[in-house]
Amino acid sequence: MNVYHPKLTAGLWLVGMLVICILGSQALTKDWLETSFLALLPSSEQQPEIAKATRQHNELNNRKMIWLAGAATSQEAIGHAQKLKQQLEQSRLFNKVVLEFPQQQYIEQYRQLFLYRYQLLDAQTQEMLVKNPEALIRQNLEILNSPIGQMQAADLERDPSLIFSRYFSAQNPVKLNLEQGIVVLSDQHRFWALLLTDLQDKRLQLDKLETLSSLVNSATGQIKADGGELLVSGMALFTAHGAESAKQEISTVGIGSSLGIIVLLWATFRSVRPLLLSSLAIGSGLLAALVICVLFFGKIHILTLVFGASLIGVADDYAQHFLCDSFGEKDWNPRKGLKFILPGLSLGLMSNLLSYAGLGFSPFPGLQEVALFSAMGLLFAWLTVVMLFPLLLTGFAFDHQPGILKLTTYWEQHWPLWVSKNRRWLGLMLAVFIAGGLWMLKPQDDVRLLQSPPAELLRTADKIRSLFPMSPDNQFFLVSGKDQADWHQNEQRLLERLGALKQQKALSAYEGLSNYWPDASQQQQNYQLLKHKLYGSGLLERYMNDLGFDPAAVKAEHKQFAEAERNTLALPEWLAAADESKRQLWLGCDEGRCQSTVTLTGISDISALSMLQNLPGVAWVDQVESVSSLFARYRIRASGLLLVAFCLATLGLGVKFGWRNSATIMSVPVVALAVSLAMLGWFDQLFSLFNLFALLLVLGIGVDYGLFFFMAGDRRVSTSLGVTLSAVTTLLAFGLLAISSTEIVHAFGFTVTAGIVTALLCAPLIGLKEYKK
Amino acid sequence: MILLKALLLYLLAFGQGIAGEAVLTEITARLARTPIAQGDFHQQKHLKVLHKPLISTGTFTYHQNKGVIWKTLTPVASLLLVNESKLLTGQGEQAVPAAFGKVFKAMLGGDISALTEGFNIIGTDQKSSWQLELIPKDEMLKKIISTMVLSGDTELRNLEIREAGGNITRITFTNITHPAQLSGEQEADFERLSP
Repeated sequence: MNVYHPKLTAGLWLVGMLVICILGSQALTKDWLETSFLALLPSSEQQPEIAKATRQHNELNNRKMIWLAGAATSQEAIGHAQKLKQQLEQSRLFNKVVLEFPQQQYIEQYRQLFLYRYQLLDAQTQEMLVKNPEALIRQNLEILNSPIGQMQAADLERDPSLIFSRYFSAQNPVKLNLEQGIVVLSDQHRFWALLLTDLQDKRLQLDKLETLSSLVNSATGQIKADGGELLVSGMALFTAHGAESAKQEISTVGIGSSLGIIVLLWATFRSVRPLLLSSLAIGSGLLAALVICVLFFGKIHILTLVFGASLIGVADDYAQHFLCDSFGEKDWNPRKGLKFILPGLSLGLMSNLLSYAGLGFSPFPGLQEVALFSAMGLLFAWLTVVMLFPLLLTGFAFDHQPGILKLTTYWEQHWPLWVSKNRRWLGLMLAVFIAGGLWMLKPQDDVRLLQSPPAELLRTADKIRSLFPMSPDNQFFLVSGKDQADWHQNEQRLLERLGALKQQKALSAYEGLSNYWPDASQQQQNYQLLKHKLYGSGLLERYMNDLGFDPAAVKAEHKQFAEAERNTLALPEWLAAADESKRQLWLGCDEGRCQSTVTLTGISDISALSMLQNLPGVAWVDQVESVSSLFARYRIRASGLLLVAFCLATLGLGVKFGWRNSATIMSVPVVALAVSLAMLGWFDQLFSLFNLFALLLVLGIGVDYGLFFFMAGDRRVSTSLGVTLSAVTTLLAFGLLAISSTEIVHAFGFTVTAGIVTALLCAPLIGLKEYKK
Repeated sequence: MILLKALLLYLLAFGQGIAGEAVLTEITARLARTPIAQGDFHQQKHLKVLHKPLISTGTFTYHQNKGVIWKTLTPVASLLLVNESKLLTGQGEQAVPAAFGKVFKAMLGGDISALTEGFNIIGTDQKSSWQLELIPKDEMLKKIISTMVLSGDTELRNLEIREAGGNITRITFTNITHPAQLSGEQEADFERLSP
């Protein structure tokens, strides 16, 4: 069957690319780039309600930014903060910029909750009433006589027992100093005016992050010029930094490898045609990969693009192999060339796609994207080589012997001889090297190791945390119950234990709704407690008389108390009056389940806290821990996957070439993998899930090289050139990844580099005997 | 009578306009300014809703750098410690009410120049005594305190706080001394304020 129709296949290719371009022109006009690092975390592993709560928790917290304007005096600090506020408002990046304490809101809240004052008691007052109501009276006298008493006893007329004043001030457990209505914090050197903002965009998009970064920089500069200091912290800044460095790395890796490839190809072929053709293969591969990924996933993550950029090196393999084949024969033409290389190319593609399919089975959305992106990129690069090159290479011939060909020829002929002469001690050294490296290899799955935020950002965040210890930690509890009463009981049980842990300094603070909102039965209990201990016992009457209240006022107070017996404050009503940070703790009721979160601040003993998940209806949510353990589990699963991919490739090659030959070919990737792993051990590199995916890539490429040499027959010289060229281009691409400051990318680059170099060294040893015979 | 009042007001206003700075400097010069001051206080709080005043007595200690110890002995013993950024009472750490820490310390220490930052001051200076009327500049503080009146001779003797709501607090200071050193107990109390 004659399948060689260069014009027809080229036409088909053109039609295909046109379709991709049309699809791309639509898909890429939308917002297609994902920069939020949250999008990389898998959600399928978690229970849906935990995933939902986590998402909600993250969305709320990731939008928050804390700004502290510092100066030598509080007046100056406030001045800086006021100027800063204007600047932030003008930027339109935030939907909330809070500088002045929302006084009106508090007055309103006071007014609404005051009606239920006999039903609402804070924990301390409750305890005092139960144990010793006289102590409450004593404390009232202390408050009333204090020189600052006018604050706490401002509403003495309407709240003679001061129980509501107590409840209301317990709502805001951390006491903040206000000046001109602005929160002013202080340390030994400076006063700091506090400004809180919520970003408008909860998804932290890239262009917004850029604007944010420059806003932070200009504001910092301005305040510094005025003699002050600005501290800013927020998840968005960490993301902005990550996105910025990732973006920079894409262009470094992209430009670096493109330049390298151009120089290499020009030196080899001394013609523009191979260069243009290679670029065409790579370009169409990348374009198709991008468009298909965006169409399939809706959005593509910026990290996918970083890994994708390295695809340039691999996609180039096919083009090189075809082009270099022209050195192999005197009267070479594309038809003959394609006929010779097509089986090798196809088998290479199959083995690569097999490796990437492994990535696709990972639950990490980012890795699925990388899998599809890489697979599509390679497939389209391959299609371009196979369908378009025959037509465009018509009349392509060389009349020169490139310097690099001499080098690879020499290399191909002498290196295997040298190795076989010294095989004894070489083998021994290799074995020792591999064994030693593997022995030192230790997996590290802590997700925090994968992030590498700059030290300065971390320092600022720590400083802000010490000044303003109010932003909740990453870990939290999710409390649920089958109805409101059940939920309330569960949360109360948890809060009680947290209270004890707080005493032991396992954490500095916690927030739970039920601390502030007693449910209907608790409200009744509170009322009864007041009735028995204070109002009904005559204690209040005595206290009011002693203080000098009018007898009519004493009577009125008792009357109001009696009338309030049936009052109940429903949760929605309480939530409506509550401030935002408390409202957000409530997740709502649906399908026979009510849920809330309990946030934690200043955790110092994480294991003591996580033990509390044994309480009924309580789930411990530790995203860092769960992602780390997920990484560990999938590192193990990926190892299995690697084994499967390896077996599949061995099996496939065994069917085609026989078991013995299959083992010979597979020895290249096996040694490459082993050396790669050993290198990680020797150089104390991060070994995690991401290295394993790099190893899958090494497997694919190793099979390619082994296969090309195995099938080279009498064309070992041109094969050697092709493999060397593609290895060098791959190294240019992946080697550059190893310089990345993002740990994941660096680990990927290091692993692949070690593997490819080994594969390049091993491949020429394959197929030698068959050729000699 | 009315005429006399008007005249007095005019003089006061005039005095403030022309000689405000001078009066303050004079009073400041007269006040005994030492790093430490201590003495007894007698406080009367007249609350609108109560038909008799709340009376408390106790001792106070002022330290230039460390803040103030306000120790109530009757009717209920309690301790209040305050500096510019921290306030401790029997109920634990509290927010320092607007400018309270600074003002309280400046008043007890006779540091009038520090008071001009937060208040408009009207001063009268007579031969043996002086009086200062302080009106808060801060809008928030104004909602709570309308005026504070300080009077004394070489020491601050009386302090009257008139709240916007009509409550009045009168504090009299007696037995004021200026020791060179804090007692061990006073040191220990201030220690609790340090971060």
